[in-house]
Amino acid sequence: MLIKIVGFILNGIEEVKLLDLPCPMPIIRIKKYLVECPGVRKFNVSVNDQGALKDIPAFCQQQKLHCCLLEDGEVIRFQISR
Amino acid sequence: MSESTDKLTAKSQLNIIHSKGGLDHCYPTFILASTAAAMDKEVQLFFTFEGIKALLKDTQTLKVSPMTNANMVIKSPVGPKWFKKIDLNQKIPRIFWVLPGMTKLATWGFKATMRQHGQLDLAELRDVCMDLGVKFTVCQMTMEMMGYQPNDFIEGVEFAGAASYFAMTPPTQSLFV
Repeated sequence: MLIKIVGFILNGIEEVKLLDLPCPMPIIRIKKYLVECPGVRKFNVSVNDQGALKDIPAFCQQQKLHCCLLEDGEVIRFQISR
Repeated sequence: MSESTDKLTAKSQLNIIHSKGGLDHCYPTFILASTAAAMDKEVQLFFTFEGIKALLKDTQTLKVSPMTNANMVIKSPVGPKWFKKIDLNQKIPRIFWVLPGMTKLATWGFKATMRQHGQLDLAELRDVCMDLGVKFTVCQMTMEMMGYQPNDFIEGVEFAGAASYFAMTPPTQSLFV
């Protein structure tokens, strides 16, 4: 929580929360976010669907986005940038 | 180089022929279709025979029947943890599933499990596909044969035959369901 707040203050990076959403919703929500916020260059996503650990990097690779794993565990966090 | 890869991704398509009428059969089709559409693929879904029920306005006609699928995993959405883990289809004699009300029970159980898992309702998932630009085609012949009217189906579906579907999709077909 503290990391998130500090992260937001320092970088202004938005946290897209996709908790409790199973496949395929995390991918669909990320796609929606990318389309709806074309100005956002960098954002974080947090998911707890374990399948997303492989799916989000695969999606990012296919969409030519940069994806970086921030946190692995019960909640998985990625930083996505374009 | 990047231009040629762009062309490749722009052309990449997913086509699914959906021919089964169970509620449980609809989820894989719509989940794969929505994911592919989110990944910028052009998605064509062709609904034929019992599969056309997936596009009816009234999704209540879609049921889960343990009788039609002997390999179905049936687990209770309610009860103690040990009980929820048991695959009832393995424990209960198959004759049990012909009893009146079993389809209703299985449908209720399936819906409850999906809800607990956070999955969307089928009508909502279908709307997600629609929003993402997935194209739906209902087999005209099936619709007429089964006595449905075009207005029984959700808005935005097309009615055409197999030739139209194959004309819209690439020469190599991947068949699913």
